[in-house]
Amino acid sequence: MQRRSYFLIGVSLALILGGVASARASQIVWSGLVIANNVAQPDKIPPELNRIEGTLKALFGYNQFKVIGQSQKTLVTGSEDWLASSKYFSLSVDSKRETAAGYLVNLKLFQEKNLLLETEAKVSKARPLVIKGPQVGDGQLLLVLVVQ
Amino acid sequence: MKTFEEKWTAWLDGELSGDELAEFEASLPDKAAAEAEKRDAHKLGAFLKEQLQGRAMGNEEFFHHQLRERIAGDARAALVPERAGAKPALWPIGRLVWVGATSLAIFCVCTFFVMREKGPADQSQYLTQILNARVDPAVSPNATISMFESGEGKVTVLWVDGLQSLPSEYATK
Repeated sequence: MQRRSYFLIGVSLALILGGVASARASQIVWSGLVIANNVAQPDKIPPELNRIEGTLKALFGYNQFKVIGQSQKTLVTGSEDWLASSKYFSLSVDSKRETAAGYLVNLKLFQEKNLLLETEAKVSKARPLVIKGPQVGDGQLLLVLVVQ
Repeated sequence: MKTFEEKWTAWLDGELSGDELAEFEASLPDKAAAEAEKRDAHKLGAFLKEQLQGRAMGNEEFFHHQLRERIAGDARAALVPERAGAKPALWPIGRLVWVGATSLAIFCVCTFFVMREKGPADQSQYLTQILNARVDPAVSPNATISMFESGEGKVTVLWVDGLQSLPSEYATK
């Protein structure tokens, strides 16, 4: 009887602690600078964009999406900052705090040292954020933020 | 036949008499020293008797009463376990554990249903939202910003038009 009670308490605690631990588990945020354009033989889409490939193609009308700069950040505290950069562009991401819905982030797109765009967004795992940037040659610069 | 030590002890205690006394005293090598020793032994005996005497109990009746009460109490205590076995404790540890586990399970079930009901109503707060956006008007004076959801809600889009176009070399890694 007593042994069974201890077992039951142990299982309950494990379930509770497991739930708490999984709820607090750190998440990975992928941020990328993507050049979208149309080519005869498009490269395979990067794996980070797989889930939104159809949406990107339909939305922007391009058949190739190439990553020119990226960063993959594991968020532990929820208040972190990082940079995804290419030769001429850099995307600064400043995660301010973690909420139940996701992360509150401040994004800044720089062309070399010029600030082109600044936005504040609440990013969730359920829905990536896509930002249409400037026209680059025959293509388009896109900024993508995905909580994995 | 008595040994010398037995006769000596009996002589010290004054238990020898008659011929036996005369014979023992005649066998003593130094009677004066033996008499002195006998006196010393008597003095020591008297002293010890005086010092080692037990103290008289002043309240003897009270202590007897206490003892009787204690014995009666012990006798009553011997009967208590039989009665205790007839009536179990109201909340033993085992029952408390089961009540706690049951309460926890009920709490979890209620939480599950409450969260499930609340989920769809608050779904919007779990989606990506653009709170604000701006471009530098000095750099991009004709820029316009719009926000929408696309791909049947698969992505949140910040659509910026009017940014300055750049040559294709800017697409390098």
